[in-house]
Amino acid sequence: MLTIGKVSKRVNVSRDTLRFYERERLLTPSGKSDGGYRLYDGESVRRVEFIKRAQLCGFTLSEIRELLSLRGDAGACCGDIRSRTIEKKLQIMAKIKVLQSMSRTLDELIQACDADDLSLEACPILHSLDQPGAARTRGAQR
Amino acid sequence: MKVEIIRASGCHNCDAAGESLRMAALGAADGVEWREVNVLEEMDYAVELGVLSLPAIAIDGELIFASLPTAKQLSLAITRRTSVRA
Repeated sequence: MLTIGKVSKRVNVSRDTLRFYERERLLTPSGKSDGGYRLYDGESVRRVEFIKRAQLCGFTLSEIRELLSLRGDAGACCGDIRSRTIEKKLQIMAKIKVLQSMSRTLDELIQACDADDLSLEACPILHSLDQPGAARTRGAQR
Repeated sequence: MKVEIIRASGCHNCDAAGESLRMAALGAADGVEWREVNVLEEMDYAVELGVLSLPAIAIDGELIFASLPTAKQLSLAITRRTSVRA
């Protein structure tokens, strides 16, 4: 059994984060020491590493909780996990699309201002951002 | 009118409800074309539609149901669009 400090070092996650995971019902200590300190087993360590890797893929803690729940659900299958993974990819691609639109808008603003010695009053970027409906990305319009 | 179900292979929700929705769509109005969109083969199209969860239903290239409707809801949506066109 490992103390919270040892788990923290092993998985490179702060103690506060481990306590936060507990409050978020993502992680439950395996038990408590005689002194009342949290104790964790190997499965807890694997669970924290699972959470970290899932976060790197863009899953939120709420979604990770669901993935962990499915992992322990005898009635679930890999297709359930796959569906959620595809949905996450759709969400990320939608965000990329909005970011690309924002990037294009920024390009337009930069191109509109080809001189850096203009006064603020003459700044085409400020002027453009002052216009109602200007510099709106397609994503922001939705 | 083109009705599309955007789904993933192996999606249990899609398999279970797909056939009843197809029947509801085809029976709701004349000239309904039913198409199954495999999201992994047409990811860009799904993103363009605004699909964020699966399965979803689009009618004439517009996302109408972000989650699976009942056969009755789908039939009603098709009927409404048909009456608007007429």
